[in-house]
Amino acid sequence: MRRHLLLILTFAILLPALAVLLVSGLGLMRQEWAMESFARSYVQDLAENVASLLRTEGFSRWGGELSALEIRNLRIFTWGPSLPGWIAVVSVDGKLIYRSPGADSLSDILMGMNIYKFLGSASEIKNKDGKLYTVAVNPVSGGTRLVIAAVEWDRLLGPLVRVGRLWPVLIVLMAIGILLALWAMWRWLIVPLRILVDEIGTLQWGKDLPVPADPAAVSEIGSLRSVLYRLARTAVERTTLRNRYVKDIVRVQEGEKSRIARELHDGPIQNITAMIQQIRLSRMEHQNHQTDSHLLLAEETAHVVVRELREMCDELSPPWLDLGPEQAMTELADRLSRHFGVSVTVEVDDSLELSREKLLSLFRILQEGVSNAVRHGKASEIRAEIFKKDGNTVFEIKDNGAGFDPDMNYETLRVEGHRGLANMLERMMLFGGKMEVSSKPGEGAVIRCMLPDIPDFAD
Amino acid sequence: MAVRVVLADDHPLTRAGISAYLAQESSVELVGEAEDGIEAWRLIQDLRPDVALLDIRMPGEDGVAVARRVKESSLPVSVVMLTSYDAQQYVLASLRAGARGFILKTATPEEISRAISTVSKGGFFLDSEVASAVGERDFAPEALSAREREVLIYASKGFSSKEVAGQLFISERTVQTHLASIYDKLGAKNKTEALLLALKYGVVTLEELLE
Repeated sequence: MRRHLLLILTFAILLPALAVLLVSGLGLMRQEWAMESFARSYVQDLAENVASLLRTEGFSRWGGELSALEIRNLRIFTWGPSLPGWIAVVSVDGKLIYRSPGADSLSDILMGMNIYKFLGSASEIKNKDGKLYTVAVNPVSGGTRLVIAAVEWDRLLGPLVRVGRLWPVLIVLMAIGILLALWAMWRWLIVPLRILVDEIGTLQWGKDLPVPADPAAVSEIGSLRSVLYRLARTAVERTTLRNRYVKDIVRVQEGEKSRIARELHDGPIQNITAMIQQIRLSRMEHQNHQTDSHLLLAEETAHVVVRELREMCDELSPPWLDLGPEQAMTELADRLSRHFGVSVTVEVDDSLELSREKLLSLFRILQEGVSNAVRHGKASEIRAEIFKKDGNTVFEIKDNGAGFDPDMNYETLRVEGHRGLANMLERMMLFGGKMEVSSKPGEGAVIRCMLPDIPDFAD
Repeated sequence: MAVRVVLADDHPLTRAGISAYLAQESSVELVGEAEDGIEAWRLIQDLRPDVALLDIRMPGEDGVAVARRVKESSLPVSVVMLTSYDAQQYVLASLRAGARGFILKTATPEEISRAISTVSKGGFFLDSEVASAVGERDFAPEALSAREREVLIYASKGFSSKEVAGQLFISERTVQTHLASIYDKLGAKNKTEALLLALKYGVVTLEELLE
């Protein structure tokens, strides 16, 4: 109901307006009929009265018919209120005997017509000026004359006729006004509102900015837009700040990891390696069995320490990352493959160039992705590919594991302690990238990361 | 005649250890020591040793870059990379840069001597710890078909499956089938391992890789 409120509102205006138009139209027609029947009965009465008067007067004088002069002398037309038309007396052969003052062009028209058709029923006719008359014809009983009576609507029904003419004009004007109002409402209110609603619907909060103004909308929508724009800009700024902050944290963390790895490599690993060499040299000189077995144990222990330290370095920040995207990712794939006992392959586009930070992110994503696929999906084969497409660096990881429901909420997963996917997504977002996960239970999973080829935020 | 060796490592203690090892070996003569890549390259040019033992991570210029210089200058010096890291990609990068051997600093004196003597005779040497991570088996070099050898060599040069397919005028799928067969025959899990094993078993030579 509320969804279609604007449409309902439009109809709420349009339908009553149409109803008013219809009722007014019907009323006008009814009024027209009423005026017509009134004018007819009036003119018929008039013709009858005059005919009867002429007969009475005629019989009372000579028992014959009155001449034009005599008719005029009857002064019947000067009695009472002035006649809203005229009357004429004609002989049966259509010859005019008398016509009252005020008879206009219409009487000439009538003289040329067969007036017998007006006998008994009054009819409407227009004169040369377009004025409407109702005409009735009555025979003077016993005689050979006819009385023609004609009343002009304007004079008989003056105000009513004027209202009847004005009313349609008003109605049409009102209809045009309503349509204009509706059009304006649609053009400047409803359409801009719908555009705004659509825009808000697809707006990625914290990432996109809406159009700040709409010149084709009412000012209220303009204000709404500018408020929305300000809010969205604040959100974008906040996201940018947050990204920078998180990025700084990641950068500091990774920097720290690299530093520790470097120090482990240049310090303890080198020193213990030197120690192993010295122990070996001692063993070469000392042939005493007891001493040799102690030294051998020391040497083996030192070996274990070197291996452990190397593994720690690899966990923290492997020095072989410097070899570039292809070799670093291949090395990682090989190591993960050995570590988990599954097949991990990675194909890297030759022309690919990545900043160390981006490479490190892809590196961690592969670590996380393979670990997830093996531990949760029980995958035995993981194929990764890094390539360029439409100005993006695309990193795709496919596995043949059990798959999962990709609609899981990252936030829920994070709260439950599974930070894997959330971490991966976070790393992508740091570089303005996207991550898509598609999977179906039983059909493995595909993780697709897209990094735009734009310089890193804080660089 | 003793094999003349130049040693480069930025860490004095490990350098001391290695030089002590070499001192025990009569067939090897340590003619110069450098503590960074730039000095190492200068010594190699000046002293023209038979073998250069180069640390990968060094200040100035790393060992791989020095190896590349040696390769480009066509000096008759065999390079052995000396490193604390067992990353296979280091091995691959070193081999592509022209190194003929790869040993860890924790290798035994005997192994270091063997590495020096192998490469000085034009052979290829891979550290036993790295090699054992790769895994070994009895292998007859003839087991790989000529086409498989070709695919392996191209793949080892860093070409992707698609590029190898383009070079050999076969489909990408065929390349992948060949690779799978190569891995299976060699007992390798990936391209790098396959190459290292192939080098080790003598299926392919370093020269073929560097062509």
